[in-house]
Amino acid sequence: MKCDEIKDMLELYALGLLDPEEKREIDEHLRGACEPCNRGLKDALAMNAMVMGSVASAPPPRRLKRRVLAGVGIEPKRWGWLGLLATAAMVVVAMWLGVQERERSRDLADARQSILQITSERDRLEQALSYLDEPETKQVNFGGAPRPPRGKVFVNSRKGVLIVVSNLPKLPAGKAFEMWLIPKGGSPRPAGVFQPSRDGSGMNFISGPVDIASLGAVAVSIEPASGSNTPTEVIAVADTAGS
Amino acid sequence: MTVLNYLPAGLAFALLQVALRFKEDGALAKRLKARDPNVMGELYDRYGRLAYSLIFRVVRNGAVAEDLVQETFLRVWNRAQSFDEQRGALGPWILTVARNRAIDHLRSTDGRMAAGALELDRLENPALFSNFEDSALSIDRARRLKDAFQKLTASQREVIELAYYEGLSQTEMAERLKQPLGTVKTWVRTALKTLREELAEAAA
Repeated sequence: MKCDEIKDMLELYALGLLDPEEKREIDEHLRGACEPCNRGLKDALAMNAMVMGSVASAPPPRRLKRRVLAGVGIEPKRWGWLGLLATAAMVVVAMWLGVQERERSRDLADARQSILQITSERDRLEQALSYLDEPETKQVNFGGAPRPPRGKVFVNSRKGVLIVVSNLPKLPAGKAFEMWLIPKGGSPRPAGVFQPSRDGSGMNFISGPVDIASLGAVAVSIEPASGSNTPTEVIAVADTAGS
Repeated sequence: MTVLNYLPAGLAFALLQVALRFKEDGALAKRLKARDPNVMGELYDRYGRLAYSLIFRVVRNGAVAEDLVQETFLRVWNRAQSFDEQRGALGPWILTVARNRAIDHLRSTDGRMAAGALELDRLENPALFSNFEDSALSIDRARRLKDAFQKLTASQREVIELAYYEGLSQTEMAERLKQPLGTVKTWVRTALKTLREELAEAAA
């Protein structure tokens, strides 16, 4: 192909739409350091961006920013008060699920005391946790490690994934627990970091639609407090595909 | 900003994002590469709506679009190391990543071109999105692009939309439109030439 013909095809090339034979020819030509055609490729990328940017504006839901930040392991700052709320939720949900051990009666008494203090916040929590009662919410236990944290995973295709765990190991300073969604045959995706309560229980919630069919497992690992992109030390795994 | 008065609201918004942000993105890109934890919020504020709009245009499903926007920003976060913060253009890169996620989703749901994902992956290498001409993303070009679209025939507009927003190759377009491949290729070539020439005039 001559340069003129190639220049006519650079937009389609940059969009990945050429037939393999045409693509191969252009690849080779560009590798041959043809200056005008390489410059043409930049122009094609710029024009493609302009065309892509000309779509009608569709405002995303507000929650999307939080999801995007959680996706890269960052908790938005305004989660400060939500953190408190999450701690409260942890206690309520832990009790509700009956995961507290009987011998920890003293902890239970403390927890009851906490509940009394947070009843006013409970209405808000109920909204977040309402889906637990829905028949379609899928429930799976953590397990598999030698001394596994106990707990449950709740997956709701429309609302998100909630984990409630107890018996968590003590965290070294500067560390946090991180939740991971592991697609079948895929790499773990970070789903938010969380700190345990004093009694070693914890809760984390990632909201938004979940593709249950492709979700293979949910895991918890120990990571630096700001979170990681890949899990470092996995301490609990729940096989959401198997049950 | 009188130029904006010529543009419909949505288009003006989107083009502004691409054209005007271009020059301000250097500092953002630098922090992105340094993995500054605050940078993602700003990046989302700047490009989240545009990425969502583009992806939604392709997949036409809000829940799927949200997933794909999340994937887009995760990919940008993970691959920013190869981005050229001095001469790179974040907007075009993010738009390309967003479009490719959406096209990849379309292809996987309708069973087309299983091998295409790797190819798309290669074409969104951040290193490609640098050294653009200063004028490549100017607001004048954005305005010209809108005029150029109006010069296209209905068939030409249709093939452009099939290429950019549905990821169809020319062979696939011919099948979809039940037209000879030669005819489709002529429409595509003429349409792209019209857009290209209109933009070139703006740069001149």
